[in-house]
Amino acid sequence: MSIKLNALLKSPWVFHLSTGSCNNCDIEVLDCLTPRFDIERFGMLLVGSIKHADVLLVTGSANRKSVVRLKRLYEQIPKPCLVVAIGECALSRGMFIHSYNCPVPLDKIIPVDIYIPGCPPKPEAIIAGVVKLINRVREKAAVKK
Amino acid sequence: MDRNAVIEDIKKRFEADVTDVFDKSPKRVYIGIRPESIRRVAQYVLRDLGARFNIASGVDARGHMEILYHFTLEDINLLVSFRVILPKEKLEIDSLAPLFEGANWIEREMNELLGITFKGHPDMRRLLLPAEWPEGVYPLRCDYREWDKDAIRDRGV
Repeated sequence: MSIKLNALLKSPWVFHLSTGSCNNCDIEVLDCLTPRFDIERFGMLLVGSIKHADVLLVTGSANRKSVVRLKRLYEQIPKPCLVVAIGECALSRGMFIHSYNCPVPLDKIIPVDIYIPGCPPKPEAIIAGVVKLINRVREKAAVKK
Repeated sequence: MDRNAVIEDIKKRFEADVTDVFDKSPKRVYIGIRPESIRRVAQYVLRDLGARFNIASGVDARGHMEILYHFTLEDINLLVSFRVILPKEKLEIDSLAPLFEGANWIEREMNELLGITFKGHPDMRRLLLPAEWPEGVYPLRCDYREWDKDAIRDRGV
């Protein structure tokens, strides 16, 4: 495994971005970070700046105005990075699929590595999803080697 | 003044402006107002009755456009909604933003989403829609049709 990837998987720092969600997924993400579920035991840490992050957590249905910000953030995140789509809106826009303000789904804008469905997904689901993603990336890297 | 006195007072004072009064419930009353007199009525309710402006809501109803201005009289626990009916051919009304700042943003929002013109608004810019949104397309109208050719409307599965 390359040193970059090792550093990424050992302790993935996450940046949380809401692209126009109803805040319910954001509350569940927050739940993951607080002591009850405590994802810091996996080394995950919420960071305030995208330039410190390894993982981009995206919630919400990507509306016309936030898409501009989303692209800008994706450009700034250090690569290699992982993108996690959380919640029905980030997956397929949910009930906003015909909305005038949500023309394109998230995975047609930036590459998404893992989808966590639910409205909102439980904190357990979010943790399970992220752990699965880390394991998969690690296995892939091992195979390549 | 108690609840009924307030309603009677508005009825009497603006006899020519009030079109109808619908007493919905003990806490709620709808008063129909002619579009040209909304500014005078709002001024009276705010300055003299001491009401608070909650919000305004625009509705694209069948055949006409409707604006509801919701005012609360907190000391008597009453929500007064002034209903203004605008014909679709002439979507124009006096702006309330010069009277109080609270009407500023909601009028900008109604302007871009429903296409109602507010005469005398101090700062009529877009509030919510992005810059690339075409001029003259109002997304909350009943007859709105998709204009964006690049939009993807399937779930991708």
